[in-house]
Order: sequence, then structure tokens, then C-alpha cells
Amino acid sequence: MTEPKVIMSLMFFTMAFAFYAATALFYIGYWLLRREWIGQTATIMAYIAALATTMVLIARAGESGHAPFSNLYESMILFVWAITIGYLWLEHRYKIKVIGAFVMTISFLAVLSASLLPYRFKSVEPLNPALQSKWKWLVGILEPMGLERYAIGWLDFHVFTTFIGYAAFAIAFGLSIMYLLKERFEARKKGNFLVDSFPETRILDELSYRGIALGFPFLSLGIISGAIWANYAWGTYWSWDPKETWSLITWFVYAAYLHARVTRGWRGKKSAYLSIAGFIAVVFLYWGVSFILPGLHAYA
Amino acid sequence: MKKRAWYGSVWRFFASVKLTIFVLIALALSSIIGTVIEQNQPIESYYIEYGERWGDIIRTLQLDDMYHSVWFVAQLVLLMINIIACTYERFPPKWRSLLRKVDDFDPSIIDRFSNREAIELGATLGRARDRVIEVLRKNRYKIKLDRSQGDEVKLYASRGLIGRFGSDITHVSLFVIIIGAIYGSFWGYRDFRPILVGSMIRVPDADFALRLDKFWIDYYDTGQIRQYNSLLTVIEDGKEVLTKQIWVNEPLYYKGIRFYQSSYGTSWNRIKEAEIALKRLDSNKVDPPFSVKWGEVSKVPGSKYSVRLVGYVSDFAFDERTRTVFSKSGETNNPAVQIEVYNGEDLIARPWLFFNFPGLIHAIPGTQYDLVLMGFRTIPYSGISITKDPGTNVVWVGTGIMGIGFFLAFFVYHRRIWVSIKASGNGTIVRMGGVINKNPLGFEREFKDIVEAVKETDSRA
Repeated sequence: MTEPKVIMSLMFFTMAFAFYAATALFYIGYWLLRREWIGQTATIMAYIAALATTMVLIARAGESGHAPFSNLYESMILFVWAITIGYLWLEHRYKIKVIGAFVMTISFLAVLSASLLPYRFKSVEPLNPALQSKWKWLVGILEPMGLERYAIGWLDFHVFTTFIGYAAFAIAFGLSIMYLLKERFEARKKGNFLVDSFPETRILDELSYRGIALGFPFLSLGIISGAIWANYAWGTYWSWDPKETWSLITWFVYAAYLHARVTRGWRGKKSAYLSIAGFIAVVFLYWGVSFILPGLHAYA
Repeated sequence: MKKRAWYGSVWRFFASVKLTIFVLIALALSSIIGTVIEQNQPIESYYIEYGERWGDIIRTLQLDDMYHSVWFVAQLVLLMINIIACTYERFPPKWRSLLRKVDDFDPSIIDRFSNREAIELGATLGRARDRVIEVLRKNRYKIKLDRSQGDEVKLYASRGLIGRFGSDITHVSLFVIIIGAIYGSFWGYRDFRPILVGSMIRVPDADFALRLDKFWIDYYDTGQIRQYNSLLTVIEDGKEVLTKQIWVNEPLYYKGIRFYQSSYGTSWNRIKEAEIALKRLDSNKVDPPFSVKWGEVSKVPGSKYSVRLVGYVSDFAFDERTRTVFSKSGETNNPAVQIEVYNGEDLIARPWLFFNFPGLIHAIPGTQYDLVLMGFRTIPYSGISITKDPGTNVVWVGTGIMGIGFFLAFFVYHRRIWVSIKASGNGTIVRMGGVINKNPLGFEREFKDIVEAVKETDSRA
């Protein structure tokens, strides 16, 4: 067992990497050159990248024998997967491809940083004692069919909901950047080829809000399921460990954002800044805490 | 009069959403401090790490335990006051206006909505009305008003009214969670007990005892640790009530108290048995060892002596003041056993035998015999965390309410559509206008679909 069997997932990861690079390039190309065929190619690339990411997750689950959410590398892939699926849904629904130039670039940067992770964050490891939690009712249902090893638990639920939240915030972040760019040029009342193809600020603002309005309940679910799990593992649902505290900081920022939208003077620009601040908090919550601050949550 | 104005402005301050935003941002920013400065360390360590000036600041501002400091809790209290004030100010009028029965409306309001449409239908007034109602119902709208006045029919329909109360339910849930957290922190406790295998402890603040029957570790094939397990038995009034195997993530729960697997080790003050050998100092020869059980007497083979095993420390230390031996840590750094040496019935010595330093103390003074500690069998213990938090269930109820609140607030939108149908020549003119409280882009689409459906039914007829 010295050589971990990660060949399949590595193969799909390499494929995904290439397609994310192409996707980001084509979307940026579409944004700058505005050729329809570039945009169509970008969308096709994005679908293939999404499929490859799905395959990485499936292969990884097969290789490790548990849900593929147990270390930083796997969570990055889940993050990228959720951003891409979210974006493709957005594109399908609103037909605004220029957003891909921003959102799919975030996906690509995330894949790039996942590929740069040191080996110890990527290896397939059996779960340590604190990470083993399965829902007993689910084990009970699956056991008669002999499938009990596929049962999931609070850990899987916690990671999954948290990363849906992160991905929604990432999309909202991309949209907020676009909003600010568009808003800046509109304030000068001058056309600019960079932002002319952007949708109206009203739409960017609204879509960004939709992202956060989706991410916020998922982040909350992630925090709550983490608390439930902590209560099982450590006997306390909240211990102010850096990861917990940063999740709460992020929660406060987005709660401020949601309230800002109710107040007239805080709409638009100020709430776009809050959305960006919120995503910076997410990045720190996700990477900063894992690498800089010590704590119970050190493994991912 | 002046006094009331003063009172009013204070009230407006506490009931403003701006205050909410500021408090939330202040909470976010100030919470960072506690993730950078390590919490709950002895106060001296802050002076050592940050120097005297910053040490003073940390102590004064209670930054060593900032999440329980007066100023941090004050922010939370301010947020709570803000929520109460906002709810008190906004909820009753909202409730009244949302639940007010619509008896009639002025059709000119339809022109004020950004989502509006006027369609000409070939159908009669009655048929047009039936069609619009059918389409609205198909889109899961409830018809709240259906009123005919001469050649005009007015309809008002809505959907997802309950979504409007999502934010209020969420605010209530925050309250429940905080009340649960406060309740638990006052009436709960957190404790830790190492229990030796086979021994029993009294559970603090409870009328039962707990016995550890067994402790063991499971491994993966690769040798990595898979799980730590303890078999615990609850004993109440001298009777065994319940036996359960616990492991990390799987505590024992009994009468409001949870017992968690949290660490393990070997005993520092007791052993099962010791292996001791007789050493002949004249020939420097060591006999084969014999074993002696804890508290029991064994004959020393090949001599007239016998020994009783009476003491053990895993890390030998001696307190000069009280002249007692103790173990200075739980580690097995300097293990030693104490024995009583008997010559027949007479106690002749009570030496300590050191595992690492054989011969340090002559065990049978004045003779050519010494005793050497060759080995010992320790007793494993399992470290059990004991927590009682009667507020936990309240917190879970709160999170459940929060889930409902979020669902309503973020996924149920309040849509309202006003319709005026007027006879015109052979057909009718249908004017529709609608609003939604959230998700305007989605509503634009839905509104168009509804309008299209109304048109389509006409062409079908």
C-alpha cells in the first residue's frame, strides 16, 4: 500500500486542468473579441471541464473508499465543480456568456492552486478517527443491500454544504467585480469596449445578490452541521477555534450584505464592496486558516 | 415634548438597519483579533510574547479570552436589542398590511408596475376571466379577489406570502440559539477523567457511576489508527444499567450527560503486576524473575524472603516537604515500584526499585541479596471527556427554526398580480401587472410566461 492508487483521478484531473485553462482563455477571448464561435467553444469546453471534474470526484471516491471531501485537494475539486456547475446553470438560464470570463477564470485559478498543493495534501488517506462519522439511519437502510460502506455522515454533509456556499460566493464575487467595473465606466458616461458587453449594472447587482442569497443559507447549513459534528466528536458545538471563528466572520459579512440591500443608501456599490470583502473572508477561511492559523480544523 | 423627541431618536437609532450593518461589520472585524492572538493562555505568556505594552493592552481589553469579554458580548447584546427593536417597529405593520383583505383596487395601479402587459382577447368577459384564473391557478397563485363591476372584472392573486415572514422567523431563531448558548454556559459543565480499565468513577453532578470495562485501538491494514474504543458501563444504585461501546464521534449519552472518547494512556500510579529477580551480590548472578501481583505477596524463589507489591510511579519524583513520592507526569519516564520485603512475618524493608537504575537502593540491606525490577505490566486508561450542556437541545431547536426561516426568506418569494379585464367590442382587454419582493429577473420571466399562457388559451379557443 505504499503506492496510492490515484492514477484514474490524476488522469481526469490533468484533463480537467487542460479544459479549465482552455475554458478560461476562450471566455476571455469571447469577452475581448466578441466572436460568437469563441463563445460557443468556451461553453463546450466548460461542459467538458465540468464532466472531467465530476469524473475526478467519482474516481477519487473509488480510490479512497469514502466520499471525496476529506482533504484540501479534494475539497478544492469539489469547490471548482460547484462553481462550474453553478456557472453553467447561470449561463443556461440567463444566456450571458461574458460572465464566464470572470467566473470560469476563478475556476481555473482554483484548479491551478489545487495542482500546486504539496503532495501531502493530495494523497489518498484512510480517515482518521475524528473524521469517521456516518449516519446510523442511513447505514441501517444500506446494510441489507450490502452497501453500508457508501453511507455518508455529518462530515460529508458539512463539507458539501459549505462548498456549495463557497462556490456561490465565488460566483457572486466575480459578478460584483463586473458590477464595479461597469459602474465605474457608466459613472463617467463613456463607453468602453471592456464593459460594453457586460449586462446592465441592475442585472449584475441582482445576480450577485442571487449568488449570496444562495450561498448564505448553505454556509449556515455548513456551520450548523459542523457544529453538530463537533458536538459528537469534541463534546461541544462551538469552541471558537480559528476555523469556526472565521466561518462566523464570513457569516457576519454576508449578513451585513443582506441587510445592506434592505437599506437604500447601501445598495449597489457599497454592497458590491461587501460582497468582495465577504469573498476575501471566504478565501482566508478556506486557505488562510488552514495554512496560517493553528487549530482543531488543521486537516482541511 | 422635547423629552419625547429625545426618546424617539434613541429608539430610531436602535431600530435602524444601519445599526445592524455596523454591528455586523464591527463583529466581523473584531472577531479577527481572537484568531490571531491565541486564546485562553496564562496571562504571563502574553507579556512574554508581545512585550509589556501590548501585554497590558491585551489584559485590559480581555483579549486573552475576547469572545467572552465584556466589550465583545456587548456587541452581541447590541445586535439583539437591534433585532428586537427592528422587529417591534416593522413586524406589526407588515403583518397588518400583508394579511389585510383586498376588497377592491384602483386599476390604474397596474400601470405603475414594471411588469405589466395589456392583451386583447377575442373571448367574452366571463370566458376571459375564467382563463386568467385558470392560468394563475396553474402557476400556483391563489385568487384573493374576484370582483365584477359592470363591464369590468378585477382579479388579485398572490403566491408565496409566507416567504415574507422568513426574515422574522430567522431573527427569532437567532434568539433561540443565543438563549440556548447562554443557558448551557451557566448550567452545564465540561470535565475530563482518565478511567483505568476495570475501575469506576463517580460522575460529577449526577447520581450514577461509570466503569471502564475495556479500552482498545483498531488499526487499518497499513498500520494507521482507525479508531479508539472504550466499553463503558453505567452503574446506578449498585446495579449495571447500561453498557455501551464508545469511540470518537460516538459518545455515550445518559441522563443529560455525554461521555466522549478523548484520549488514552497507561496508568501512572498503579500496575497489574511486576517482574522481579533476585540478584546475588557475591557472585553478581541474577536468578530467573518471578512475578508479584498488585497488593499481593510472593515468595522470592531461592531465598527465605517474600515481597509484597505496594506502590508504583511512572515518573519518579520526591517531595522534600511532605516526604512523599509522586509521579511528576503521566509519561513512563522513570518508572519505579515500591515493595515490602518480609523475612518470614517480619517487615524488614520498604525499598523503591527503579527500572532504569537497578541497584540504586539496596533492597535487602545488610545481606548479600538484592532485588531487581525486570519488568511490569501497566493498566491502560481511557481519557473520557464528560460534558453536560442542557442548552444544546435549545440550540438545535433554534437551528431548526433557522432552517425554516432561511427556506422561506431565500427560496419562497412573494409574488402578486393584479388583473383588470374589460369588455371591448366583441372581445376583451386584459391588463395585468405584477410585483415580486425578491428575484425580479425570475419574475420577469414568470410574468411573461403567464401572459403568453393567457394569450395561448385564446388562440386555442
